[in-house]
Amino acid sequence: MKLSKWVDKKAGYILILPAVIFIILFSIAPIMGTLRYAFFDMQLNDQSRNDMYMKSNVNISLNQETIDYLNYYLDIDLDFVQKEETITKIDEIKMDLSDLDNFIAEEIATADLRGVVQVSKAKQNALMEKQKLILDSLEELYNMKDEFYSPEDTMAVASEFETSIIKSNFIGGGNFAKVLKDSRIHSTLKFTLVFTIISVLAELILGLALALIMNKSFKGRSLIRTFSLIPWAIPTSVAALMWSYLYNGSSGIISHIFTALGFISSPAAMLNSSTNALWGIIIADVWKTTPYMALLLLGGLQVIPNSLYESSALDGARKWQQFRYITLPLLKPSIFVALLFRTLDAFRVLDLIYVLTGGGPGGSTESLSLYAYKVMFSQTRFGYGSAMVLIMALVVGIITFIYIKALNVDLIGENR
Amino acid sequence: MNNMKSSTLLKTIIILYLFIIIFPFFWVTVTSFRPESEIWSTNALQLKGATFTDINYVNLFKTTILNSLKNSLIISTITTVYVTMIASLCAYSIARLEFKFKKLLTVMILATSMFPQMIAIGPIYRVFVKLGWTNSYYISLPYSMITLPIAVFILITHFSQIPREMEESAIMDGSSKINTFFKIILPLATPGIFTSAIMTFIGAWNEFLLSLTLNTNESWRTATVSMSFLRGQFEIFWGQVTAATVVVTIPTLIIVILFQRQIVSGITSGALKE
Repeated sequence: MKLSKWVDKKAGYILILPAVIFIILFSIAPIMGTLRYAFFDMQLNDQSRNDMYMKSNVNISLNQETIDYLNYYLDIDLDFVQKEETITKIDEIKMDLSDLDNFIAEEIATADLRGVVQVSKAKQNALMEKQKLILDSLEELYNMKDEFYSPEDTMAVASEFETSIIKSNFIGGGNFAKVLKDSRIHSTLKFTLVFTIISVLAELILGLALALIMNKSFKGRSLIRTFSLIPWAIPTSVAALMWSYLYNGSSGIISHIFTALGFISSPAAMLNSSTNALWGIIIADVWKTTPYMALLLLGGLQVIPNSLYESSALDGARKWQQFRYITLPLLKPSIFVALLFRTLDAFRVLDLIYVLTGGGPGGSTESLSLYAYKVMFSQTRFGYGSAMVLIMALVVGIITFIYIKALNVDLIGENR
Repeated sequence: MNNMKSSTLLKTIIILYLFIIIFPFFWVTVTSFRPESEIWSTNALQLKGATFTDINYVNLFKTTILNSLKNSLIISTITTVYVTMIASLCAYSIARLEFKFKKLLTVMILATSMFPQMIAIGPIYRVFVKLGWTNSYYISLPYSMITLPIAVFILITHFSQIPREMEESAIMDGSSKINTFFKIILPLATPGIFTSAIMTFIGAWNEFLLSLTLNTNESWRTATVSMSFLRGQFEIFWGQVTAATVVVTIPTLIIVILFQRQIVSGITSGALKE
């Protein structure tokens, strides 16, 4: 009884909780993670930099492994060698190895003997010193004239010492400074902005015109509405693939039509020059998104009461005046919401360009998302890529802020 | 006279618009039934005299495309089921119940739809690698990142349209809030829930970035990503590419034709993402 009362009192929290957990796990926490990555020189393909190391570390299990192998090889060498002085030298090295062993055990290792242990800079340097001594002695040893088992293998094992040392890869604002100076960022940002502005503007104007047309009653209106949904519902990557066929130089019909119309010099020039490729991407995007924009605005148009138009017509208002003084002001919230979300979508464009041009020709159609994706997943530079997407998110935030402030829209439907 | 002119103009614009929307897909479909040799010849640009063949489809089904479609279907279905359930609870609580921090939590949930997905992908990728979750259906979980805010958006609109009297009288009769939700609100909100489910399904079906980074193994790829790999580095078999375009588009076309009313309502009630 008590429990059910408690549940009833807290029903709001209980019902919203699952959604909040998911948002925290898959949106907020990853965003925080990216924020942390951005301060480190993280590179996934580099063992000593594939995680975030605030302090200097030693991988004692790797170090121990190397010591064990070296002891093993040196023992074999002891069976091979003939001269007294080489035997002395090997014993010396084995002494150094056990000295290193002791140093680790006494100065660095913790009670639970974990793989990677944090150390002070001084101790890390002392450790490296000892490793270096062993390496040098090994070189001396194998320069001696004697029979050895396999000097190459031993040296290869010894070189593994290097990987057991993990230096701090915390670089503070270094990544951000690099992003600001990266000339490729400048060109991708410029491309992304040009693409966003032209596409969204074209989609808004064409979409508004279409919405006004569809708002009239005529035969086959619902058919047009259904057809308008098709480009929106086709996955972007599939639409991009479709357009890449229509644009291709040998049999792409659109590029042939454009050539015939004199827009481009030859069909092959459609995706081969940077300006044409930009327009190619914009056309594909406008084709895909304008009908959706039209439907969104149509939704806004349909809630405008017809009586407003009727009474204004009685007052002698012309079509243009009705549009200017009734339609536009009442449609304002819809226009702004559509504009905001389309702008954000266009700004983070990835799949359309990934499939259509891959960023080419010569990186001229590379969007910010695509560049960030390449840095993180092709070059595996996670830290740098994270700084890049954070700056991108900042720009997104600025765009959103400008829109919301300038238009004063009620985004979460509080006043509904 | 003037009226006649403007209606002719209107008709022309509408026909032109329909032509522009349909033509790319129509042309790709035509190409998909042509032999590769013809696609590379000058004949490719003519409709007349085309040879009809299903060889591209036969070849396409020898590749992993069917498997990718299966992956897409399973992943999208899982996503739709759990996202719709979570979003229903959440949207009801936002639309009808009063509690502290409601506004903050609402803004937090809806604002995540504005972030570029690139910002979250790095940590998600690393966690998935650590847990061994890459190349699995676990990918459905981060799909909530894109679909959940939209579903919540749509459902808030629908829940607020349900008359309050219904639940008020139920609560008067001593029903608990959660009970009221399941017994009274859910049945009334079925159309809205259905709409949000369709929008979630399409959103998950069209997803690209998460699928590209998390399910890299060919046998785990979804259809959208599989398609992008058909455009090889050196040689492109347009016959197969166009056939694949047709095959992958058909499921979405069916959904659009069957559920166009719900989709339009989804779009206009706040599905603000493509």
